[in-house]
Amino acid sequence: MKSRMQYRADFFTGIISVIILNAVNLTLIGILVNRFAHLNTWNLWEMVFLYSLWVMGHSIYSLLFWHFNTLEDYLVRGTFDQFLIRPIGVLVQFLGREIQYMGIGDVIVGATGLVLSYSKLGLNWGMFEFSWLIAAILSGAIIELALAWLIACLSFWTGRSVTAYFVMMRLNLMVQQYPVDIFGTWFRVLVTGLIPVAFINYYPTLLLLGKTEQAGGWGWLGMMSPVVALLLLALAMLVWRIGIKRYSSTGS
Amino acid sequence: MRLFWSFTRQAFHNTAVYRFEFWLQLFSVFFMMYSVFWVWKILYKQSPGAFGVTLEQMVTYGILGMALETIFHPGRGPQTYITEQIRSGSIDTDLTKPLDFHVHMFARNFGETIFRFGTLAMPSLAIGYLFLDFRLPASFTNGVVFTISLFLGFMVLFSLNFLLGMLSVVTLDIRSISWAYNALVRFFAGQMVPLWLFPGFVGTLAAVLPFKSIYFIPLSIYIGKMNGIEAWQGIGFQLIWIAVLLLFGRLAWSKVHTRLVIQGG
Repeated sequence: MKSRMQYRADFFTGIISVIILNAVNLTLIGILVNRFAHLNTWNLWEMVFLYSLWVMGHSIYSLLFWHFNTLEDYLVRGTFDQFLIRPIGVLVQFLGREIQYMGIGDVIVGATGLVLSYSKLGLNWGMFEFSWLIAAILSGAIIELALAWLIACLSFWTGRSVTAYFVMMRLNLMVQQYPVDIFGTWFRVLVTGLIPVAFINYYPTLLLLGKTEQAGGWGWLGMMSPVVALLLLALAMLVWRIGIKRYSSTGS
Repeated sequence: MRLFWSFTRQAFHNTAVYRFEFWLQLFSVFFMMYSVFWVWKILYKQSPGAFGVTLEQMVTYGILGMALETIFHPGRGPQTYITEQIRSGSIDTDLTKPLDFHVHMFARNFGETIFRFGTLAMPSLAIGYLFLDFRLPASFTNGVVFTISLFLGFMVLFSLNFLLGMLSVVTLDIRSISWAYNALVRFFAGQMVPLWLFPGFVGTLAAVLPFKSIYFIPLSIYIGKMNGIEAWQGIGFQLIWIAVLLLFGRLAWSKVHTRLVIQGG
């Protein structure tokens, strides 16, 4: 953390950078909607809602857990051993390594997007919807964390995982920018079953914006996000355990 | 030419070690191509006239854009190398090489790009041709002009990345800046959404910035949206920006070079 603070100018450029990044993504969405009036019945503010819901969950993940994808550096350099010889749990130590300030940019964008789209769509929510929104944001953060964690654990076996991580992020961004229903069936199967990133924002949004009927047989999945999140987290913890065991036994 | 080959060979050795990564990348390109294919298909069904080109042209544009991202990924270029060398302090080994630094960076980047073109972009395009309605160039001439334009696009991206690398000498860390940079390049270059769909002010801005040389001009020539005079005007646009950016690159490097020598002790 100290080493990050040395680049103080980076603190602000980081936040601004993240805001620009999100603004570019949103502008691209805006251009397409402007040209086509709606994307497969999703209008501009519904798309903004979809995107902001992801950014909110992502901000929690990027504030607290961003450094999970650096696990391979620790493994390659051998600095991972320092966690193993200390008397506290490895996970607790690794969790507290770093706070990524850039996540603040995501919070700003996500909150603004949610508030704006809420008022533009003329939504009028009760307690149920608001608590569901919070549940959805938390589930989103956990799903992203669990996926990043699983991929990081890959490096216990392969020694490198950063490419896998970026492949996941690229796929993820595609899913979060556009409603999954415009990608065709195979894509939907992949992001629902195999790499369940559609549960981060697509399915919860269907539920929150009352679009479940339009999604046909897939609509009920909107309720499943928290379940998927917890299952994935459990899986990630299991793989992490196995990974550490394996690491200890091969370490010199 | 031997210089380029030596760097290409090196890139090959670096990459061959991680075979798993290679398949993963190929898989991800395929998926990006698949998704853009569907987005354009569904939007075309929704309002056929809105693209201004045929569905075939649009799909070809999209697939080519995704496949070329394997070589034109803005996060991989001289700036990455320069930042690493600056951080670790081993930039001095680059200064002692009997080779102009700018040329050295170009050779390294060009070698890698050629290698990635052969191993990632070409297979991706072959898959796109077999499974996803990716088409050959609009005509033989368009194919030739596309090849020239693609190389010029590479030159523009290289020069921009080199300038970003020079910035890293001053700020020491460009990790966060490069996020915004990568997003802006992809957007203004028209990597996924072609510039003729951009409205008003954004469209005008995109038309004058150098980024459109990277994807938009070569891709439009390929699908036959830009033909004849218009295509050559595109090439002229690329050449002008290359001249400007290379000049800036030389200037920045000579400034930075003096600075490095003074600091080194």
